[in-house]
Amino acid sequence: MNTSTLEHTPLIALVGPPNSGKTTLFNFLSGKNFKTANYPGATVEYSIAKVHKKHLLDAHLLDSPGIISLTPESPDEIVAVTSLYSHPKYGAPDLLIVTVDTSQITRHLLLVKQLIDAKFNIIVVLTMADLLNKKGYDVSVEKLSSELTCEVVKIDGRNGKGIDKLLQSVEKNLAHKKISAENPVMSINNHETDRLIELYKFIETLEEKVVVKYSKNGSSPKIEAANSKLVILNDNLVKTNGRKPGHRPDSLSVKIDKFLLHKMWGLVFFFIIMAITFTSIFWLAEPLMRLVDEGFALLSSSSAALLGNNWFSDLISNGIISGSGSVLVFVPQILILFLILGLLEDSGYLARGAMLVDKPLSKIGLNGRSFVPMISGFACAIPAIMATRTIPNRKERFLTIFILPLMSCSARLPVYALLIAFLLPAGKSWLAGSILALIYIFSISSSIIVAGIINKFRRNIIREEDNSSFILELPAYRKPKLGIVLNNTYNSAKVYVRRAGPIILVLSLVLWFLTYFPNYNPKIDASNLSKENIAQIQEAERLSGSYAASIGKIIQPVMTPLGMDWRVGVSLISTFAAREVFVSSLALIFKVTSDEESIQYSIIGAMRRAKIEETGEQLFTVSTVIGLIVFFIFALQCLSTVAVSKKETGGWRIPILQIILFSSTAYILSFITVNGLRALGIN
Amino acid sequence: MKTASELKYGERVTISEIDLTHPSSRRILEVGFTPGEEIELMNSSIFNDPLAFAIRGTLIAIRKNEADCIIVS
Repeated sequence: MNTSTLEHTPLIALVGPPNSGKTTLFNFLSGKNFKTANYPGATVEYSIAKVHKKHLLDAHLLDSPGIISLTPESPDEIVAVTSLYSHPKYGAPDLLIVTVDTSQITRHLLLVKQLIDAKFNIIVVLTMADLLNKKGYDVSVEKLSSELTCEVVKIDGRNGKGIDKLLQSVEKNLAHKKISAENPVMSINNHETDRLIELYKFIETLEEKVVVKYSKNGSSPKIEAANSKLVILNDNLVKTNGRKPGHRPDSLSVKIDKFLLHKMWGLVFFFIIMAITFTSIFWLAEPLMRLVDEGFALLSSSSAALLGNNWFSDLISNGIISGSGSVLVFVPQILILFLILGLLEDSGYLARGAMLVDKPLSKIGLNGRSFVPMISGFACAIPAIMATRTIPNRKERFLTIFILPLMSCSARLPVYALLIAFLLPAGKSWLAGSILALIYIFSISSSIIVAGIINKFRRNIIREEDNSSFILELPAYRKPKLGIVLNNTYNSAKVYVRRAGPIILVLSLVLWFLTYFPNYNPKIDASNLSKENIAQIQEAERLSGSYAASIGKIIQPVMTPLGMDWRVGVSLISTFAAREVFVSSLALIFKVTSDEESIQYSIIGAMRRAKIEETGEQLFTVSTVIGLIVFFIFALQCLSTVAVSKKETGGWRIPILQIILFSSTAYILSFITVNGLRALGIN
Repeated sequence: MKTASELKYGERVTISEIDLTHPSSRRILEVGFTPGEEIELMNSSIFNDPLAFAIRGTLIAIRKNEADCIIVS
């Protein structure tokens, strides 16, 4: 729409069906510098980038979720289709680059044909020609171009061959674009199924004209040899064996699927792959996490030593450094989860996993497409809730969103790590791993139970009914492109830290302020006491006179039934900004000084010393710590999740129900756990 | 009248019609299941649902009740 202004930077949108090599092309063109990130498993948002400087082309590049046709069904497809007509922020694209998997040409040309009929200005990019070549065929670029009457360029996604040619075409296209270009036609009759059958018939006759036989001796420099590659197929050849050229699925994938999608063993392989995924997250992340943790402990103690004993030193070392340390400590885990998910997606397995679990999930009102969001939920509920956009059925989508907070997100991990370490003697890491695995299994089982219960009462809770469907392409297996997966992982983690980081830092500072002030000097009877003891008692006195204590004492009655006191209560309230803040809150409230080798060990030491003020009883016991773990499994203590849930479900109904249901369950079950354990004689 | 949900492994048949009254029929057509096209049952999940068909050079998984709207000969 902006075509009249000459200074306007052109907007190029990348469009294509899922698995057509769109993201690879986006990476090649943008030089891997994009502003928004999609989390692995599902591209549900658009990404925007500038075409990389080295390409000498000044244009914005828009990547959006894959679409099969111009008639969207799921929310992610709606995002993509609307951005073609008019992007909410960048206006209407000047040019669409449509990716077509050459080995899937008849299926992928459907979208191309619809776009041409709707009068969009397009350039077609043929990708993955090597897959079709393996089958002995090729597509003639010239013929396809003249048949479609639009520019066609072939690109090799493995090495970027053909990018230069594409850029030339883009430049030519943008330069020659008529100012009074026709605006795209908004409504074409693609709803009509007859029209779809007609379109496919047209594409099939087109296919016979453009698919040619491929021979490998194309390396000869002679023009004759190059020409001999392109022997047009006659009709007899096309119809051999009753299959059209290349209409056979990738033979290697068929062989692999004999195992991975085997009727019985398929599920066994599925559980093995999932188990490997999750155990490797802990194994690979552990040394990195320890490194980050110890690094921050060192930084905190040395800055405290450097700055001396005053409020500023306390602010820097305890407020800022320990606060940000507790955020960064779980970044390795998120990175590794994102990386493994990205690799699984790129290899083609995630779609198969979704197929395998569709039936059991549909029994409890979910969908096979809930699988990827549920796995992402183990990293963070926010991208997971966004990833549910790929579920077309609203009821199933809302139910998936409803249970996602129960997936044990990575922010709970530092909390569990701390609480488990408290329960166990040092050096039993295998036992810690098993307890953690138990917590995960418990949280998955509870999410299934909750989904089942909600599904029973869904008429009252989720008032949505429409066609439940599962139609998913199982792409050919391929070696994941590590570079692209790594880049996406990095971008996702960066966005994640940028979103969570500031909240956590600000909250750490607020909490530091509340626990440090009004910092009066208590008078203590110093006789018969060592210097160390005096310091400790002073700290405790100072804290119980702090602002945090005054707030905390209001909630004391709620905490007493759980065997906990206001200090745990304040820490729990602070977790509403982000769960992992619990660890740094404990560190702040118990005035942990990092004299030991890591923050974690210091906190555990402080926890063992902590006593309930009124009774003098031990505050953290086996029963209260297990009660806390149960609390963390269920409680929805994450404001960002509530916000995203509200945004994605379009109202307050679901988030409010989530808060009420999950928080009351957390409180009741943790009450039962603590008092049940005590009744059994475990304190 | 036979539908795609009744196929045996490795059985290659041609689609004769799509039941357009099925709510998923439009998407079924869009992904490439059109009359005249050849399909083959390649895999099925443990509960025999969903089923994966070879169509137009790829594999597409659909639910059993959706395969019922694909009439084959």
